[in-house]
Amino acid sequence: VRPFAELRERLLRAGVAPRYVRRYLTELADHWDDLVAQKEYGGCSRANAEASALIRLGKVDDLAQAMLRQRRFQSWCTRAPWAMFGVAPVFALAGIYLVACLILWSGWNIFLPGTDSPFTRLHGLAILYFGVGRLMYLGAPVFVGWGICALAARQRFNLLWPTMGFVLIALVGVTARIHTTPPIVPNGIGHVSMNFAFQSSSLAHATLNLLLIILPYLIWLSYRARRTVSG
Amino acid sequence: MKPRETNPNFMNGVPELLILGLLQQEEMYGYEIVQAISSRTDAVIAFGEGVVYPVLHGLEQEGALKSRRRTVNGRSRIYYSSTRMGTRRLTALTDNWTKLTAAIREMLTGGERREAIR
Repeated sequence: VRPFAELRERLLRAGVAPRYVRRYLTELADHWDDLVAQKEYGGCSRANAEASALIRLGKVDDLAQAMLRQRRFQSWCTRAPWAMFGVAPVFALAGIYLVACLILWSGWNIFLPGTDSPFTRLHGLAILYFGVGRLMYLGAPVFVGWGICALAARQRFNLLWPTMGFVLIALVGVTARIHTTPPIVPNGIGHVSMNFAFQSSSLAHATLNLLLIILPYLIWLSYRARRTVSG
Repeated sequence: MKPRETNPNFMNGVPELLILGLLQQEEMYGYEIVQAISSRTDAVIAFGEGVVYPVLHGLEQEGALKSRRRTVNGRSRIYYSSTRMGTRRLTALTDNWTKLTAAIREMLTGGERREAIR
């Protein structure tokens, strides 16, 4: 086992972007292999060669500091957590809602031309087509929330910023409503629009969304805590 | 095993100079760069060998180096080479370093002269 787990955790917790951590560790591992091979070739036992290679690579403190001294290796989540956990998820949510509206509008024109509303009994391919749009509309807050979870887990973030993102997404998600306007002229094209407003059931719905979003993150945190204790 | 003696001030601009100087001549991977620095400086400059990578990555991000993955003898490695910007950076660093060492030498020899006058 290559001995860089501690360094990886330390760099990720300090906010170094995962791609830079991965590359650093890959090259350190290659370097370590070369040092071990060189020592073994010189007649050292495997254990001695590995110990000597570690010393030559440098202490974890020095290896970490060499990376942390350069701010350019920091992830955007560390540089601007408000943007990554607040603004970006709202834009992602808006993007998914836009696609859901486009699916609804195009499906209405393709499968139900001339009808007053797309919310009617569907058949065949239309069920699948509208189903995708419906899934995107209903699942958008949860999908975006899971995205935040993945980002936070990957970068070893504590709960503060991700939780703010989860709450924001859950609240925006439950206020979103899709409306359709029938075509003005016969066989014309109807309109699809969205608005955002609180309703009496919004808070309960938001709590349910929040639980669905946060559950995987809590499971991951508990898994990590158990692994840290056992490791 | 006893940790190696290192000189941490090595990190203040010198690694960039040495790395850019080495990579002007040929492309190298990290291990080769460290071995070349060690052999060409008679191991006077000592440092944890792993700290060379953040310097390489930083120089690459600035555009002074470029890298490519190559498989040699069944091992995949990342090779670095200098760019035009790297050459310009090396010239600037070399000028600075030359001025600095000249100034230090001047100060040291000047000091000796003063001692002789007394």
